[in-house]
Amino acid sequence: MDLAVVIAVAAAVVFFFLRAVRVLDYQWEWEVIPGYFLFRDPATGRLQPNMLLLGFVTTIKLSVWSMVLGFVLGTLSGIMSAKGGFLSRFISRFYVETVRNIPSLVLVILFYYFVSSQFLDALGLDIWLRSQSDTLRGMVSFFGADSGQINAFVSAAVALGIYEGAYISEIVRGGINSIPAGQWEAASSIGLSRSKTFRLVVLPQAFRRAAFPMAGQFISTIKDSAIVSVISVQELTFQGMELMAATFLTFEIWITITLLYFILTFSLSRSISFFEKKMAIRQ
Amino acid sequence: MKKIALVLLVFLLMSYSTGLAGEIGSQLAKESIVEKIQKTKVIRVGMSTFVPWAMKDKQGRLVGFEIDVARKLAEDMGVAVEFVPTAWSGIIPALMTGKFDVIIGGMGITPERNLKVNFTMPYDYSGMSMVAHRQKAKGFSTLADFNKKEVDIAVRMGTTAEQAARKHMPQASLRLFENESQALQELNLGRVHAVVSSAPMPAFHALKYPDKLFVPLEENFTKEPIGFAIQKGDYDALNYFNNWIINAKAQGFLKEKKAYWFESRKWEGLVK
Repeated sequence: MDLAVVIAVAAAVVFFFLRAVRVLDYQWEWEVIPGYFLFRDPATGRLQPNMLLLGFVTTIKLSVWSMVLGFVLGTLSGIMSAKGGFLSRFISRFYVETVRNIPSLVLVILFYYFVSSQFLDALGLDIWLRSQSDTLRGMVSFFGADSGQINAFVSAAVALGIYEGAYISEIVRGGINSIPAGQWEAASSIGLSRSKTFRLVVLPQAFRRAAFPMAGQFISTIKDSAIVSVISVQELTFQGMELMAATFLTFEIWITITLLYFILTFSLSRSISFFEKKMAIRQ
Repeated sequence: MKKIALVLLVFLLMSYSTGLAGEIGSQLAKESIVEKIQKTKVIRVGMSTFVPWAMKDKQGRLVGFEIDVARKLAEDMGVAVEFVPTAWSGIIPALMTGKFDVIIGGMGITPERNLKVNFTMPYDYSGMSMVAHRQKAKGFSTLADFNKKEVDIAVRMGTTAEQAARKHMPQASLRLFENESQALQELNLGRVHAVVSSAPMPAFHALKYPDKLFVPLEENFTKEPIGFAIQKGDYDALNYFNNWIINAKAQGFLKEKKAYWFESRKWEGLVK
């Protein structure tokens, strides 16, 4: 039975691709794609990363930074929402509902043109960076972006962080609220104050429950990061679109990009479920 | 009540901050970007990929007509050049909010754009050309053939190609794409009759797929001046760039580069 299903699905996929190829009538040029990952510098003879690999790395850097920021924002907002007074609850709800109810694309564009134009550009991060030593510039470039790109990169990371933070806020709030009231009562009966109960008893358990949904959110962040291509951050999607504009290899490059995102998110989701099983056994 | 007050406060803050953006914009214009470029020792150039104006070569370096122009400009100013690849549809807002100093990206001088930015004198002229599908647009040889309701034309969004297509073929239905490659893909699939774009790209593309595509019009159907775009009100920079262009023309630099990028195909090996 299983075998029949597998064969049927495989046949459908093959049929679909054959048909697609026939309808498209497209000249495939796969042989040039590896050169856009790595190329041999004719001057030095050393292998150098090319656009697609650079874009892939930028996507990872961007996702990590926005997740760190989203984690901090989301945890704060989640705690405020679950345990705060009226005003902090209101602020948290305002943040979560605003961000969740506007498209991420709009948020990124608004943030880049309005907010970051006043704060980031006025800070002069790029000008400051240009006047620094090569070591420091190399380090900033390694962890973020170089001076030409730093403003757009920071703006994108912050906008994405704010966006993901709203979802993480809900995850954290859910985690805190899921801790049964009995825990509070038990802690109070052994004489712990409310703030100590929260810090020492409730929060650790809440985080354990929130850990895996949060890891899932990280995978979402990687996928969401594709939208910052609209503000010209040189991540994977942007690099791919630039490459397509220059070479007209539309399908080869889109398929390659799709595979790259898939490799990244699939390997992450596999390792998360591996840890999830391990944790479940330990508990 | 409290909620309404908070919402009002947020709106006030928002309107204040957009007002502030305008103020900062006018302050920036007071200090000429020429001064700023001299101070920071770098000129930031906004551009977008357009074959063969600007594109990445096999090693991921930028090459093209505009890139050569910008590099020469930076060299003459004695500063480094930093290219800021930007999505074409957002390139004017990005210039207005100071994401870079100048657009050197094959931007056609149009009255609409000129209301938002200042242009230098033209350093190049380009024209609109068309590449069409052999089967779908069989026998089409004039603009009038394309100016029909059942004709679909693909163009890149926000370009002068879009305007030219609207003006010269008002009856035809337009399909807008973010990138040229998507428009050309649509043509290769035979879903549209033709793609309108700046010469020489349509002719190059027809050469690549000679059995599927052809160039229906013998000559370009528009002539467009191309200039650098800068933020409004910076006359010092306008003066500097205008005189640079006069010089580059007089020295034959622009003509030589134009011959290399637009009349020859020697550069093809660089890209693929």
